[in-house]
Amino acid sequence: MPKGTYKVQVNYLGYYSIVETIILNKKITKNFKLEEESESLDEIVIKSNIEKLNVKTPQMSVNRLTSATIKQIPVVLGEADIIKSLILLPGVTSAGEGASGFNVRGGAADQNLILLDEAVVFNSSHLFGFFSVFNPDVIKDVKLYKGGIPSKYGGRLSSVLDIYQKEGNSNDFKLTGGIGLVSSRLLAEGPIEKGKSSFLIGGRASYAHLFLPLFNNENKAYFYDLNSKINYRFNDQNNLFLSTYFGKDVFGISDNFVNKYGNSVVNLRWNHLYSDKLFSNLSIIYSDYFYGLILDFVGFEWDSGITNFNLKYDFKHYINNDFKLSYGISSIYSKFNPGKIVPNRPDSGIIAEKLTDKYANEFASYIDAEHTLSDKLRVQYGIRFSNFTRLGQDELNVYKDNKPVLYDTEFKKYKAAEAIASDSFKRSDVISSFNNFEPRFSLSYTLDDQTSIKASYNRMAQYLHLLSNTSSPAPLDVWTPSGKYIKPQLLDQFAIGYFKFLKDGDYSIETEAFYKDIQNRIDYINGANLVANNEIETVILNGKARAYGLEILVKKNQGKLKGWLAYTLSKSEQLTAGRTLNEPGINDGEWYNTPYDKTHDFSINASYELNKKWKFNTNFVFQTGQPTNYPVGQYEVQSLNVPIYNDNSRNSDRLPAYHRLDISATLNPEKNNKRKWQAEWVFGIYNVYGRQNAASVNFSQNRETSRNEAVQTAIFGLVPSVTYNFKF
Amino acid sequence: MNKIFLLSVLMSFFFIRCEKVIDIEVPSIEPKLIIDASFEVLFDQTPVTSNNSVKLRLSADYFDDTIPVVTDATVFLTNLSDNSIISFTDENTDGDYEPVDSFTPLDGVAYELTVIHNNEIYKAKATKIKSSKITSIVQGEKTLFSGEEVELKISFKDDEAMKNHYLINVDRYNYLPIEDRYFNGSDYNFSYFYEDENIEFPKTIDIKLSGITQEYFTYFRILIGQSGQNAGGPFQSAPSSLLGNIINTTNEANFPLGYFHISETDTFKIELVE
Repeated sequence: MPKGTYKVQVNYLGYYSIVETIILNKKITKNFKLEEESESLDEIVIKSNIEKLNVKTPQMSVNRLTSATIKQIPVVLGEADIIKSLILLPGVTSAGEGASGFNVRGGAADQNLILLDEAVVFNSSHLFGFFSVFNPDVIKDVKLYKGGIPSKYGGRLSSVLDIYQKEGNSNDFKLTGGIGLVSSRLLAEGPIEKGKSSFLIGGRASYAHLFLPLFNNENKAYFYDLNSKINYRFNDQNNLFLSTYFGKDVFGISDNFVNKYGNSVVNLRWNHLYSDKLFSNLSIIYSDYFYGLILDFVGFEWDSGITNFNLKYDFKHYINNDFKLSYGISSIYSKFNPGKIVPNRPDSGIIAEKLTDKYANEFASYIDAEHTLSDKLRVQYGIRFSNFTRLGQDELNVYKDNKPVLYDTEFKKYKAAEAIASDSFKRSDVISSFNNFEPRFSLSYTLDDQTSIKASYNRMAQYLHLLSNTSSPAPLDVWTPSGKYIKPQLLDQFAIGYFKFLKDGDYSIETEAFYKDIQNRIDYINGANLVANNEIETVILNGKARAYGLEILVKKNQGKLKGWLAYTLSKSEQLTAGRTLNEPGINDGEWYNTPYDKTHDFSINASYELNKKWKFNTNFVFQTGQPTNYPVGQYEVQSLNVPIYNDNSRNSDRLPAYHRLDISATLNPEKNNKRKWQAEWVFGIYNVYGRQNAASVNFSQNRETSRNEAVQTAIFGLVPSVTYNFKF
Repeated sequence: MNKIFLLSVLMSFFFIRCEKVIDIEVPSIEPKLIIDASFEVLFDQTPVTSNNSVKLRLSADYFDDTIPVVTDATVFLTNLSDNSIISFTDENTDGDYEPVDSFTPLDGVAYELTVIHNNEIYKAKATKIKSSKITSIVQGEKTLFSGEEVELKISFKDDEAMKNHYLINVDRYNYLPIEDRYFNGSDYNFSYFYEDENIEFPKTIDIKLSGITQEYFTYFRILIGQSGQNAGGPFQSAPSSLLGNIINTTNEANFPLGYFHISETDTFKIELVE
């Protein structure tokens, strides 16, 4: 930069902006300390809002939410929830209430890369999907990439949900917390050594089991999570961060049935400035997902999981104002435990069995450039090279003609082949190896200061597959690596968009169209048993998927009334053709809807600040019903009444449309002005008009009347809630 | 372990769920022939007897109140070791065909079932599958999910020399297919939770343990899943037509539904008390 006087503005989502005038006559490194926005200081008008669209950068298909926004959105039982908030944005849906995970642009739930302080989180839900695992107090901000994904990210096809935990306040000790109907939260933060180091520790625990009258003392059902972050500043050039997350769910019915699962994540990150133009981050990350089950009435214990170690080194290089580079390398070593079964009592009669562990390493290197070509044209381009290596394991099955799945032409069904041999390898052996170049490209062309057109293309490779044949993942679903029998999933996505600010940025309009093409999306043969299956390759068929759609997001960014209106029109389909002409594949080899295909998805979120004391918030959601299958007939076998399903119309029926309205009111008591203790009450009503939204329709015979019925189950009717949040 | 069942039950415990019967228009198809032929050889009785009924029905629209019976078919069995024919007849014209002369399937003999209906010939083969004897069944005190279940502690000795599949049938309507993968050769015991909303004690129920083929095990697992299948909801998996082991040799496309199977079956009666 040439010498002179500069105005430096520092903005960060959820924090006050800093504007400082710097006279540049020598080399300066300057650190800025941002102060978190607090709601009690609302008389300061903040014009910079990072949730707001950036018209000029080439980055498109990205949505950001702050912790403050997430906390205001009305949700069931008042549990502020990142994932339920994301679902209000265009292109993001879930399989319904109580469904875990989320779907981005017609992608599967296992295609989302969820990063918490850069560490991969495998399970994002508590209580089978009713709540998400992220404590809203601990979160700094959330960024969701739906397309145009920079080459820094890889390993999942559909999206990147990049979540950062806050750093502890390095000047004062502070407590933040909340008491809700389902859970309570408490967060402590403060300096360890003033100006040098700080800590943050946040915990959340549920007590649903204490007041659910259905339970007597023998039963348990709870979740908890613990987040922490410690940072230490050696000097202006060197910072060290330690982030951890630990979460667990426990559910039990007497001693007969106990179910536990959870994630653990640790990241140690060294942030180093080589110069004022070259920044670096070196991270060592450990991540673990565990699932355990005790079934006393059958006499066994079960556990499964995935553990990985990740070493990565990322650089940001500011070459000049018009050209910035990001580059780095990453290596992830993973161990998969598909399951272990052991007798849980001496008289059980169960014989212990260990499903074969699998090992893999995923290496990646990338380079990404942000390049301003002219005032109007900006591009971001890069490439990621990924290599996935399946490492040696015991007992890798060998099948005749290399075909683990057979087609029985006589009885017209797929069935598992019997292994003819099995190979054992040394851990250092390479069983299979895959290489992929993943180009990424995006551009923005500004028509004027307020308007731009953007386009992007990205290719992604995904080497892990979540084995799940239900419409949303369940905690006991197991991850499996690509290898000899399962190929990596590959995606090509194209997106184009039109972005516009109205009234000097008070309003914004974002319109995007996307098309996605996915190779090697797996599906399962009829009646496939995915639980405790040591020969999972014998129930898997290889197919492909595609999705396309149109997204519109209209936002009001300023004023007393803020919010957005989002609409998505899309289609998400899968195709599993027969491997030869004699085989039908799935659905007669025709395209079929994925279980998360939603034609229309419309949502409104609005907040209105009446005065300093009261703030109101509302959501309205309308979605096409989830794809399903209705029976085409019935018969009886062995006294059981059985519905008949068609083989060539998979997922072509629909549950009734889903819609609901939620409201909430936030009370900021006047007493707050005169004291350090800051409190707020959030009152909410979920599903105001009490719509019985179908979570499922169950076809079965009523035993008393011997008549067949379609029984619709709705999970939440009208649900009122109250939450108390505090800070001091 | 049935994941779908497990998770649906778990979910129902957490939140206030509202269930209601709704009207849904379902598509219909041309009726299909249903052949329900699961023979049971009661090997622990003296003399050994067997249940050899072939039930012929037509499929109906899902919400129809009656399932039509087929009384005009020709049904016979061929002993494939000596090509002798065992004729079946529908004496009560209720669609249930029984052997004309008393008949008990023999060990190690393959039988072929032939059904001729509307000039189309349907065929299937089966050989009797060994079972094990029930060692004991006692009523226990525990409950599972609803608190209303009756615990049945079932034990039997598995045959180590064979890979066994079993079908447990409790009080006619309740089935549990199991495989000996985790208890091969052991004295296996487990608790079955029997539930009958309108139970009046004391109640005597029958429990059957049948030896089945691996194919019938898979078939039955899907059958049970579909007969109480959840359509929609996070834990649904897409159902599809469930073909058994019977083929239409005249017109392949008009495949029948149902199964032909011969098992050894041990029975046990227990009186349940409060």
